[in-house]
Amino acid sequence: MSDTKTLLLELHCEEIPARFLKPLSVEFAESFAKWSESEKLDIFGILFHFSPRKLSWRFTGLPTAQPDQTETQVGPPQRMCADEKGAPTVQGLKFAEKWGVDFSAVKFEQPTGKKEPCAVVTLTKRGQPTPTLLSEALPKLIAGLHVPKAMRWGVSEFQFVRPIRNILCLFGNEVVPFEVDGVKTSRNTWGHRLHHMKHADPIVISNIESYEVELEKAGVVVSFDVRQQRITEDMKKLAGEVGGQVVEDEELLSTLAEIVEFPRVVRGQFPQEFMALPKEVLVTSLKEHQKSFCIENEKGELLPFFLAAANRPDDPEGFIKSGNEWVLKARLYDARFFFEEDLRTPLIGRLDSLTHLTFHRELGSYFEKTERIGAIAVELAKRLGLNAEHAGVAARNCKCDLRTLMVGEFPELQGVMGGEYLRHEKAPEAVWKAVKEHYQPIAAEAPIPGTDLGCVLAIADKLDTLVGCFAIGQIPSGSKDPLALRRAGAGIIRILWEKGWTLSPMELCRMAMKALGVRATKPESDTFEALDSFFRDRVTYQLEVAGYAGAVRRSALPVGWTNLVDLKARCEALSSFAEDQRFASLAQSAKRIANILKDEVPADVFDASKLQESEEKSLAEHLARMEAASNHGALLADLAELAQPLEAFFTAVMVKCDDPMLRNTRLSLLHRLRKSFLRVADFSLWQ
Amino acid sequence: MHVQELILRLQRYWADRGCLVGQPYDIEKGAGTMNPLTFFGALGSKPWNVGYVEPSRRPGDGRYGENPFRLYKHHQFQVILKPSPAAVQDMYIASLEAMGIDLSKHDLRFEEDNWESPTLGAWGVGWQVVLDGMEITQFTYFQQVAGVDCRPVSAELTYGIERICMFLTGIDNIFDLTWGEVKTDQGTFPIKYAEVRQREEFELSAYSFEHADLELHWRLFTDFEKEGWRLVKDLGHYLSAYDQVLKMSHTFNVLDARGAVSTTERPGIIKRVRDLACACAKTYLETEAKKQAEVTA
Repeated sequence: MSDTKTLLLELHCEEIPARFLKPLSVEFAESFAKWSESEKLDIFGILFHFSPRKLSWRFTGLPTAQPDQTETQVGPPQRMCADEKGAPTVQGLKFAEKWGVDFSAVKFEQPTGKKEPCAVVTLTKRGQPTPTLLSEALPKLIAGLHVPKAMRWGVSEFQFVRPIRNILCLFGNEVVPFEVDGVKTSRNTWGHRLHHMKHADPIVISNIESYEVELEKAGVVVSFDVRQQRITEDMKKLAGEVGGQVVEDEELLSTLAEIVEFPRVVRGQFPQEFMALPKEVLVTSLKEHQKSFCIENEKGELLPFFLAAANRPDDPEGFIKSGNEWVLKARLYDARFFFEEDLRTPLIGRLDSLTHLTFHRELGSYFEKTERIGAIAVELAKRLGLNAEHAGVAARNCKCDLRTLMVGEFPELQGVMGGEYLRHEKAPEAVWKAVKEHYQPIAAEAPIPGTDLGCVLAIADKLDTLVGCFAIGQIPSGSKDPLALRRAGAGIIRILWEKGWTLSPMELCRMAMKALGVRATKPESDTFEALDSFFRDRVTYQLEVAGYAGAVRRSALPVGWTNLVDLKARCEALSSFAEDQRFASLAQSAKRIANILKDEVPADVFDASKLQESEEKSLAEHLARMEAASNHGALLADLAELAQPLEAFFTAVMVKCDDPMLRNTRLSLLHRLRKSFLRVADFSLWQ
Repeated sequence: MHVQELILRLQRYWADRGCLVGQPYDIEKGAGTMNPLTFFGALGSKPWNVGYVEPSRRPGDGRYGENPFRLYKHHQFQVILKPSPAAVQDMYIASLEAMGIDLSKHDLRFEEDNWESPTLGAWGVGWQVVLDGMEITQFTYFQQVAGVDCRPVSAELTYGIERICMFLTGIDNIFDLTWGEVKTDQGTFPIKYAEVRQREEFELSAYSFEHADLELHWRLFTDFEKEGWRLVKDLGHYLSAYDQVLKMSHTFNVLDARGAVSTTERPGIIKRVRDLACACAKTYLETEAKKQAEVTA
C-alpha cells in the first residue's frame, strides 16, 4: 500500500448564483473522479460544500504518487535487427535508440499475431508524484467546468460563473502550486465580510482537518445542510413565539440556505391593514420580493408576521428587522395598489383586450382560446348535469386576469387573482372558485380543483391547449415538451380518475377539435391517432401513480382504457388477487388459449353436450357461472377458481383433435372463456 | 441625510477613486445606462471610469405623485469602471460606508440578478445588492453592448438615490425626503422633495397615462428612426444619431404606458430601436479604429 493523503480545494469567488452552486459542486467532483481514475489514482471519499462565495471539495485517500506502469514496444523482426551472432544491425540500433535504451535491453520474442520473433523493449513508466499531476490537471478541470451562464471580467478572456478571487489548495497540508487566470493557490482563504472588517488578514489553513472549524470562526458555515437546519430550527422557534407555524416552502428554504454564509432568522411584523389582501398575494409577494416566509395559525389563516434570513449572526441595532419591515411595507403598498386598481374595472371588462394577447401564433389570441374553452366547458357541464350557464361565465372570465396589474407583477398568481376579483364582484361561488382553481393540478402531487365546475374548467383549458397543439403538429417527443403538454394531459386524466367521471378522453378530444375549427392544420385522423397514443400513455402513468402492481397494470389496460371508472374498478378488483398464485397459473393458461385461438375463428355458440371429457365439462360449468357474474369481484373470484380446472383441462384434453365437430366445440369453449375474462383483463399479459 | 448630500458624497467618493464626474445627458431616458458616457464608454478597449447622476423616466411607473414609493422619474447614480477592477466589490462596499452606512450593523447580500436591455442590445451578469432586505444597487459586469462583446469588461454600479435616502433616513414617503437646504439672509429653509418634484410627477403621470397624443407619438417614433438612420448611414454621425435612439426609446415607453403597444408588436418595435443603436455603436467603433490607424501611421 502506498501512502495516501487528502486533497482540499476551495474556489473563493464573488457571490455565485444560488442555482449554480450544487450543480457545479457535483460536476467538479465527478470530473475529478474521472480524471483520477484515468491517472490510476484511487480516491477513498469525496465530500463537497458550497456557500455563496465558496465551492470546496475534499478528496480523501488519494495516493501520494501514481503506481509505476510498464509498457511493451514491438519493433522489426529479429532477423533484421541482429546478425547470426546476435550483434546489432543498423536497424536494431535505431530501434533501441528510438525508445532510449541500450541494445542489450532489447529482447527477442514472438508476440501474438506475428509470424516470427521480433525486437521487443519493455519500458517502465515511473509513476509521477500526485502533486505534480494535480498542478497540471486542476487548472484544466476548473476551466473545463460547464458553466451555464458564463461571464468574463476585467481584461481577461477566462470564463467562469463569477470572478475567482482566491484559491486554496492543499494536498496533505502542502500547497499544490498552480494558477487560474492569474490567481495563485495558497493555504489562505477569506471568511465572512463582517469578520474581515475587523481582521485584515486572510484565514490561514495549516491543517486540512480544521478547515470547517476555522471558517466557522470567521463567520462562514461551509455546510449547506447545517445552514438549512439552523434556518429551519430558528424559524420554528420564532413562529412558535407568536403562536403560529411556518407556511412551508421547500424551494424557498433551500434558496435561503444557498444565499447566506452564516444564517440568522429575523421575525418582522407588517401592518394589520394589509391583511385584507388575499392570502396568496401576501405569500407570493413575501416570497418573490423578500425571500421571506409567512406565519399562519392552526386554521391556516395568516398572522401579520414574516420571517427573513439574514447573512450574519446577530442584529445588533435591530436595523435588519426594521429594514425588512420597511421594505415589506413598500412592497405590500404596491400589491395593494395593484389590487385596488384592478378592482376598479370588472374583470370581464378586459375580455376584449385579450384579442391583442397572443396565446400561440397558430392558435390565435387568448380571446379565441377563451371562446374555445367556453364551448368545451359548456358542453362538459351539460353532460355532467352541472350548471352550464355558470360554466360559460367562468370560461369567459378565466383568462381576463392576464390583463391585470397583479398578474403582470406576479405571473404565478394567474387564475388565483381572477377568482379573487370575481369573489369581490360577488360572482356566484361556483364561478369564482372555478376560475381560481382552473390551473390545478399545478404539479404531479398537487391537488385537483376542489369544485366540480373548477374541474370542468381545468379540463377545458388544458384540453384546448393540448388538442390545439396536436392539431398543428406540435406533439411532444422525447425530452421536448416546451408547452408542458404531458403535464396538461396527466392533469386531465387525474381529474377524470379522481372525480370518477366516465367521459372518455377521446370523446373530450373530439369536443375540443370541434371548438378548434379551422385552426387545426393537420389531418384529423393523424391528430386523433397521436392523441390516442398520448392519452394511453398518460393513463398508463396514472395507473403507476395509483400504485397498482405491474401485473395488474399490464393486463388491465389493453382490454380498455378510455372508461377510467371501469378501468379503476377492474384494477381494484385485480389488485386483491395480485399475490394469488392461482393467477400465475391462469396467466400460463391464458397464453396457451391465445396461441390456440390465434388463427381460428370459432363460433360464439356451442353445444355443451357434445363435450366428452369430465375436465372440459367442468370447464363449461365454470364458464356459465362466470358469464353470469355481475361484477368484477365475483368474476375474478370465479376466475381464481378456474385456474386448477384449466390446468387439468390442458393436461387431459387435446383441443385440436381429429373430430372436426368436437374440435370446433372445444375451440368455442375456449373462445367464450377468453371473452369472459377479457371483460376484466388480458391475463396472457399478467406476468 | 439629504438627497443632494447623498449625490455629493457619491461623486466625491468615486472621483477620489479615479473616476471622471460626468453629468446627466439632456434627453429623456429610462436608465443611466443609456447616457452616451456609458453606452459608448463601455465599448472599445480604452480605459474609462466615470460616475454621474441620471434622472430616469419610466412612464409606466408614474403614480401622479400619490404613491409614497414609486415615481415617474427617479434618480440613479451610475458608475462605470472599465476594465472592472479586481477589488470592485470592496470598492463598492466602501462607497456604502462613505454614504454613512455602518456595515457592522447591517445585513448585506449580493443576490443573482442578470441585467438585459433589449433596446440597447446589451446584457450583463451580476447582482442586485440587498441591504437589510432592500435592493439598493444593481451591480453588473457588462458582457455585451449593442451586440458587441465588451473587451475589456466594464463593471456598472447603479445606485437608486431616492430609495437609499429613504432607507438611511427611515422616512417612508419619498415626498417627505429633504432635497437640501436653502440658506438666505432671512434664514435657512429645508426644501422637501415634494416641493421640488411633486407637481412634476403629477403632470408627467397625467401626460403619459392620459394626455399624450398617441398618433403624434407613433409618428414621432417613425420620424426619429428615419432621422437616425440618415445621420448614421449617410453621414457617419453616431452621436446625433444616438440622440434619435434615446428619443425613440422614450417615445416607445410613453406609448407602452398607454397600452398602445400590443404584445405581438412589441418585440418588433424594440428591435427597431436596437437596430439603430447597434448601427451607432458599429460606426463609433469603426471611426475609433480609423483614428487609431491614422495615429499609428
